[in-house]
Amino acid sequence: MVLDDLGSSLRGTLDKLRGKSRISEEDVDEIVKEIQRSLLQADVDVSLVMELSDSIEERALEEEPPGGTSARDHVLRIVYEELVDLVGDSTEIPLENQTILLAGLQGSGKTTTAAKMAWWFSKKGLRPAIIQTDTFRPGAYDQAKQMAERAEVAFYGDPDGDDPVKIARDGLDATEDADVHIVDTAGRHALEDDLISEIEDIESTVEPDRSLLVLDAAIGQGAKDQAREFDDSIGIDGVAITKLDGTAKGGGALTAVDETGSTIAFLGSGETVQDIERFEPDSFISRLLGMGDLKQLTERVERAMEETGLKEDDDWDPEDLMKGEFTLKDMRKQMEAMDNMGPLDQVMDMIPGMGGGMMDQLPDDAMDVTQERMRNFSVIMDSMTEDELENPRSIGASQVRRIAKGSGQSEETIRELLDQHKMMAQTMKQFQGMGDGDMQRMMKQMQQGGGGGGGGGFGGMF
Amino acid sequence: MFDGLKDKLSNFREDAEEVAEENAEELDSDEAAGAESEADVAEADAEAADVEGEAAEPEAEAEESESSSGGFVSKASSLARGRVVIDEEDLDGPLRELELALLESDVEMSVAEEILDQIRADLVGEERKFTESTGALVEDALRDALLSVIDVNGFDFEEAIADAEKPVTVVFTGVNGVGKTTTIAKLARRLEDQGYSVVLANGDTYRAGANEQLQEHADNLGVKLISHEQGGDPTAVVYDAVEYAEANDVDVVLGDTAGRLHTSSGLMDQLAKLDRVVDPDYTVFVDEAVAGQDAVNRAREFDDAASIDGTILTMADADSQGGAAISVSHVTGKPILFLGTGQGYDDLQKFDPEALVDDLLAD
Repeated sequence: MVLDDLGSSLRGTLDKLRGKSRISEEDVDEIVKEIQRSLLQADVDVSLVMELSDSIEERALEEEPPGGTSARDHVLRIVYEELVDLVGDSTEIPLENQTILLAGLQGSGKTTTAAKMAWWFSKKGLRPAIIQTDTFRPGAYDQAKQMAERAEVAFYGDPDGDDPVKIARDGLDATEDADVHIVDTAGRHALEDDLISEIEDIESTVEPDRSLLVLDAAIGQGAKDQAREFDDSIGIDGVAITKLDGTAKGGGALTAVDETGSTIAFLGSGETVQDIERFEPDSFISRLLGMGDLKQLTERVERAMEETGLKEDDDWDPEDLMKGEFTLKDMRKQMEAMDNMGPLDQVMDMIPGMGGGMMDQLPDDAMDVTQERMRNFSVIMDSMTEDELENPRSIGASQVRRIAKGSGQSEETIRELLDQHKMMAQTMKQFQGMGDGDMQRMMKQMQQGGGGGGGGGFGGMF
Repeated sequence: MFDGLKDKLSNFREDAEEVAEENAEELDSDEAAGAESEADVAEADAEAADVEGEAAEPEAEAEESESSSGGFVSKASSLARGRVVIDEEDLDGPLRELELALLESDVEMSVAEEILDQIRADLVGEERKFTESTGALVEDALRDALLSVIDVNGFDFEEAIADAEKPVTVVFTGVNGVGKTTTIAKLARRLEDQGYSVVLANGDTYRAGANEQLQEHADNLGVKLISHEQGGDPTAVVYDAVEYAEANDVDVVLGDTAGRLHTSSGLMDQLAKLDRVVDPDYTVFVDEAVAGQDAVNRAREFDDAASIDGTILTMADADSQGGAAISVSHVTGKPILFLGTGQGYDDLQKFDPEALVDDLLAD
């Protein structure tokens, strides 16, 4: 996630202030150094970092903490206010007819982002069309076309054309009945004058309502110059950050929004068309604070439940969890649903009490290990009989041996699965008293439960 | 590329020299060491006044407060032998400036710290004779520190291709969108120009449009492409290409792979499998020169999954920083082989660390 490390290192530093009512200059000095370090490691522009840390330092020393506020909360508030100030709001994307132009360096992920945005608009009930104007890179047309098919949206391109401006103009005509036109362009960088003038021509032809700069989360200090040049030539209204599922922190995006006076619009975090989120400053800040992000989580859970439930031959209903016996079949469904929500660490990050501070304490590969375990578990379940899935408690030693042979997993893993199921069945029993399976209420319940048993039935897996 | 770094390095050199000189001269006059240095003192002072304030001021302060304390005895004793010692405190200011300069150039933080440590170790406590030029001292330290991180081993890609038994198999790895496919096309052109025959293998069976992209390059270059349909096993594609090369006396197999983020353990396992089954002669990691702090993470992860022999940095023409080159070669211990400098087939430059450092330190 954007600036993940800033959250954890900041919490660490601020914890040292716990219990203090006054902050010394040395305290502030240390905190500011820590903030600088984190921001620099997140690829935020060096001069921007210095500006930001100067004003945090000044405010922390000069402003009197309001009565009753601890030193820690005081500094925390200043840091977040400054960050919110810098990040600003999310780029306004009204749900109405519009044309969006995408620009960016080669390989920043424009074509994938175009398809993702189109998918996003289509989910909001608008009819999007993608217009591919990259005549330079071999395979660009085919890639965009295939991505558009995956997103199930209209597409226009000309594999034999060599004039991007003409393709853009023809594309707008050909997809006239679409509500949203997303114009993809060839990758270019700010120092290529001929390509910059080309995109200016495209811009004046399609007259976009918004021009978005697509930025790789891994981009370094160069983000500043690139953003400025693109802003000078076509005017940047928002930034889409891509490849956030890697380890890069996306600080270049902060630089870019600062440099262009724009805001962050979308976040991309995977290769399928669904892997896109609108940038929500609130979510961003609360994740940074380690407060979780209930809104995103609920959305994901609902989407995942929908996908899992969509399969035919299915009489399974998540609500069934709330009554009757919790079987291995239920567990498998739950695992599938979890899988559909996306990478575990992304999901965990959104659970209150699980993200932020608590994630810091888990070993780095905890999520991979867990996902690996879940995969093994599902292989094991494939080797079980219908009866065993329904009545896991009846599985004896000889059956364990048979399942081990059948699934290629160790007997120990199978026993782990059975233990896990037992634990989850117990947890579920506790929830059954709660009435209907309203996810959000369930999450809240867990949060109040101290977060320690959080993650619900999967708590024991970590 | 590297323009920004070059300016900043020269600033550091001036600052560090300044500090060392001032320090030396100050001691010099304190101890009334000789008339011939009087002129130098004046000169140094004048310089100090000229130089941009930020860097010079803090160490001037540090120096005043420190020169009388801890370091004094050692300085005095060295002075007795006609030498002077550079104090750690004296260098703090310039080193801090250098650190920021390196970070501004996208050198990864831990790598930057190592460079600083090395310079500090080289310079601090260094006894030098009055006659020795401080400038040479600082420059040597800087050069050594830079070379030690960039010039990692003597692997020369083109020599390796020339010497290897044919067919030579080279597999390219890296994250999405760094320019692996374009780089392969450029390298194919370069090898063909050098008289080798080349076959391309599209191991990117995942990305939409990957086959079409490489096919078009193959057509433009007039080389054979081995590909399977989308969704196939990348290992099988490269394996087939090697078989083809053996049967048709082709010299070099260049195998593309799908871009993948180093955090995707499934895809990284796939890469490890390809490495195991095909056992390519060389594995080249491709990354973009514009990458920032994260460049070291991914280089390390890719090196772990399928050990790399060198790196090619693309989009060097878009980047004035160049720090990724320093970080990546340092963290992998493998050299940068080429720089991609444009979108044409000939836009591939051999990377020469010595020449780079010379260029960086040139006046």
